[in-house]
Amino acid sequence: MIAAIALSLTHFQAMTLFALLISVAFGFLGRRRTNDRVKYIIWSLFLFLLIGVGIGWAMYPFSR
Amino acid sequence: MNEHTEPNMADETTVGETAAVAATPEHTPSEHAPSAHPQRSEALAFAIGVAGWLVPGLGHALQKMWGRALGCFLTVGALVFLGVGMRGNVFSSEGGDAFGVLGYVADLGTGSFYFAARALETQGSDVAHAEGDYGTRFLAAAGVLNLLAALHAYEAARGRKA
Repeated sequence: MIAAIALSLTHFQAMTLFALLISVAFGFLGRRRTNDRVKYIIWSLFLFLLIGVGIGWAMYPFSR
Repeated sequence: MNEHTEPNMADETTVGETAAVAATPEHTPSEHAPSAHPQRSEALAFAIGVAGWLVPGLGHALQKMWGRALGCFLTVGALVFLGVGMRGNVFSSEGGDAFGVLGYVADLGTGSFYFAARALETQGSDVAHAEGDYGTRFLAAAGVLNLLAALHAYEAARGRKA
């Protein structure tokens, strides 16, 4: 049923989706007030993407 | 998700914190306060943790922490849904090597969603492509995240600040 959907994502899309979902979960678990949650989610998402792209960029010379 | 109307109140108050407030000198503790039955409170907290593991978010929902319950349910559910949609590997108990066992334990962390993932992934995994590999990570992350949420619910039920 669901496998027929056959999601096809690029590496960046998959990483962004993963980072967003984990950031939202951490924000809800780690903070109590709505404003704090929003700030935490945005900051966590930014760091996820920054570090992910940074590691990918650092590995690029070894990929070929 | 403001469950309270007062702007300066915290969005969510735990059962344990409510009990702690009730135990202050201004609020005389009754014989039926949770602190009077520590073993019962511990068993209740453990049951809440197990409930949170079996159904993502249920541990928080039982403590009326609706925002966290919804957040856990939706994020864990989305990770499982996407992981299966990308044809990630849903590990079984017959994994064999250490990585298979670790993957199985991580996948089991999603509780009832593990069985939903197994039922939904009718075509099997496809880790030969990047999507399948990402899907495997999504499923494992969902399990570990749900275990963290269940532990959080357990600690909140014990009265630890959460």
